[in-house]
Amino acid sequence: MALQKVLVIDADRCTGCRQCELVCSYEHEGVYAPTLSRIRLVKFEDRCLNVPVVCGFCDKPPCEDVCPTGAMGQRAGQPYAVVREENCIGCKECVHACPLGAVAMHPRKGVAMRCDLCQGDPACVKVCAPGALRYEPLDAAVRQKRRARVVALGVLRSPEEEEC
Amino acid sequence: MRDIVGDILYVDLTQRRAWREPVAPDRVIRFLGGRGMNASLLWELCKPGTEPLGPENPLIFGTGLATGTEMPSSGRTTVTCRSPATGWYLKTSAGGHWGGELKYAGYGYLVVTGKSEHPVYLWIHDGEVEFRDARHLWGKDVRETDLAIKREIGDEDIQVAAIGPGGEHLVKFAAVMFSVYNAAARGGAGAVMGSKNLKAIAVRGTGALRAAQPARYHQVARACYESLLADSGTAGLAEYGTSGSLNVVNELRLLPSFNFQRSHLEDAYPLTGQYLVEAGYLKRRVACFACIIGCHRYTQIVRGMHAGTFGGGPEYETLSALGSGCGLLDTEVVIKANELCNLLGLDTISCGSVIQWAMECYEKGLITARDLDGLELHWGNGPAVLEMVRRIAFREGFGDVLAEGVKVAAEKVGGDSYQWAVQAKGLEQSRVDTRSAKAYALAFAVNPRGPDHLHTETFAEFGLSPEARALIRKITGDEKYANPYLTDKRPEIVRWHEDCYAVTDSLGFCAFTTTALYGITPELMAQVFSAATGYEISEEAIMEAGRRIVTLEKCYNVREGATRQDDTLPWRMMNERSPDRPDPNAINSAEELAAMLDRYYALHGWDPKTSWPLRSTLERLGLGDVARELGALGKLPDEREG
Repeated sequence: MALQKVLVIDADRCTGCRQCELVCSYEHEGVYAPTLSRIRLVKFEDRCLNVPVVCGFCDKPPCEDVCPTGAMGQRAGQPYAVVREENCIGCKECVHACPLGAVAMHPRKGVAMRCDLCQGDPACVKVCAPGALRYEPLDAAVRQKRRARVVALGVLRSPEEEEC
Repeated sequence: MRDIVGDILYVDLTQRRAWREPVAPDRVIRFLGGRGMNASLLWELCKPGTEPLGPENPLIFGTGLATGTEMPSSGRTTVTCRSPATGWYLKTSAGGHWGGELKYAGYGYLVVTGKSEHPVYLWIHDGEVEFRDARHLWGKDVRETDLAIKREIGDEDIQVAAIGPGGEHLVKFAAVMFSVYNAAARGGAGAVMGSKNLKAIAVRGTGALRAAQPARYHQVARACYESLLADSGTAGLAEYGTSGSLNVVNELRLLPSFNFQRSHLEDAYPLTGQYLVEAGYLKRRVACFACIIGCHRYTQIVRGMHAGTFGGGPEYETLSALGSGCGLLDTEVVIKANELCNLLGLDTISCGSVIQWAMECYEKGLITARDLDGLELHWGNGPAVLEMVRRIAFREGFGDVLAEGVKVAAEKVGGDSYQWAVQAKGLEQSRVDTRSAKAYALAFAVNPRGPDHLHTETFAEFGLSPEARALIRKITGDEKYANPYLTDKRPEIVRWHEDCYAVTDSLGFCAFTTTALYGITPELMAQVFSAATGYEISEEAIMEAGRRIVTLEKCYNVREGATRQDDTLPWRMMNERSPDRPDPNAINSAEELAAMLDRYYALHGWDPKTSWPLRSTLERLGLGDVARELGALGKLPDEREG
């Protein structure tokens, strides 16, 4: 089985530049508008704190469970989730069901919007200069996170320190 | 191209009226956007002799042509008006995220005239404009104001441009603060906003911007992105911010210290970006809209007497103006002073400048602690600096004198104090010792707003990177001119940078992308303009548009009465040798400046006697209407002589 890649967010690195939002709206709509982006930045401006929020690609996606028309889901034979806009009736059940706030309504079309990973080649990752967004196999992401967490605990001491 | 340019929103605060007008396409082609369009609007709307703090002075906000799109580092907003500090042309700009939001709300430009009866703020959202009572916000600092507006409207994604108490009290160097910590700082635009009883401008939009040629525009954006990341200076600027270069500036004998009495410190390390990282003050690296560099800082003091201090910056200019300039090497005091200036809405450069001038007055006995309500304003007195910043913003005691700027303050204190009032045209010089940077000297002297680096940054003359040296070779034909102590070829270097900087500002790019780092070339900017508007423009033509903008800004000052005598430098730069560089040429002598000015005016096609642009020059640039108006005022030089 091919390793499953996921969108990894390292918010500590995010500078809040919004390149991800701009390129996302361009890729999906051909225009520039953060409100049309599938990845959104949460900004705490006075603290200069920025956190990108995007679909978690749940194994049991509540947005798909509650969708009465089957609009939220995969297309046959394709591995990446989409919104089948032709089926979407704009009932917003998915927006309310998503625990991450990662599903929104398209401001003009009246259909749901969520990340589709650009069908396997996410544009936002390619423009993230500070490296806050990565697209990598899940186990690699977990391994890195685990290691970083252990290092942060201070268990890794220099050989000199360890001798004492 | 209408949505990417954005309409002009006119607001008359006296009549409480707002209306919109589209920008004529030929105006976009002539003036590009942002700074250029603002220059055109100010020329049209600001009649000669307009009182800077009167209701007629138009306060113009202009977004860059590319602002709001993915074009890297293109989110800057230009603010233009007649300056209350100088009485001359004022262009001042800021980063942050406000400009993009204005575009999404449907506007590229905002022109505010009149004066409200009581404090108001504007709430602009998706084509709607509301005049909202701001009496409850008057007196609040910039951060409180930002948070209060977001809370009362109920949307944290609102972008706010606001003034603090500094602007309310008409301090001549009050800033307009964008996105809390990004200042359009120089020349007192915040005081103009205060004079209109306009506390803030809140914007939010859900609109979308479409380039005329979307696929090509996206491709150009990717090319700009790669080119900018490849510049040898980009990584360092991201890592250590603007003050990452402070030590280099110090070693070059350029770091203004003790009010420009010194240009070098034994140990400037506590004021460097490297130290901010090492000592743990830096908590986050922050970017303006669409910027892939991210040179802005978020710092915080966790322990000690200044615990609880947090916010954007401090930047290089601030660390020099409120640090080295005041003989102050205490990092935490500078971080605190920076926070105060941000919250009170003051330009850190001018604020530090007036305080260090007062310190020199104090050390020389022209003012005493009695004049300062007990404050002992000797070099390096951190608590006194912090107290003085506060008094300036509220115009308390001697703060009221300093709030007028150093030129007026020196007139009031008298004696020889004008000699160390480091200003020209009424603006305090920004933080580079021009005695050892000759292109800077010329650029500062001819800058329509006064001696600073933000009309024409000529950083390339130091030759500090391969890209800088290559640019000097491109302009002059030889890398050997990458030498700041030479006067040769400085006029040529300044002329190129003037045009380039005007284009940079007009498209919304940050100067760091074109004239400090060099990833975004004029050739790329021509591509940006062409793909955005669908109007094909060449590198030469866009640089000529830059020259048109520079010339129109000059003409504004000519119309207000400027002559060659106004193109000058501070007394100290012209009459005292730099003590830290043992070289007879470490001074901006009158002869040296005159020789550079002669050549500079000749390159422009301006009259060397008056500095006024010739009619033929104006007509060649398509400014025939400007020539007619200046001619009617008797302000066109006689061409038959020359």
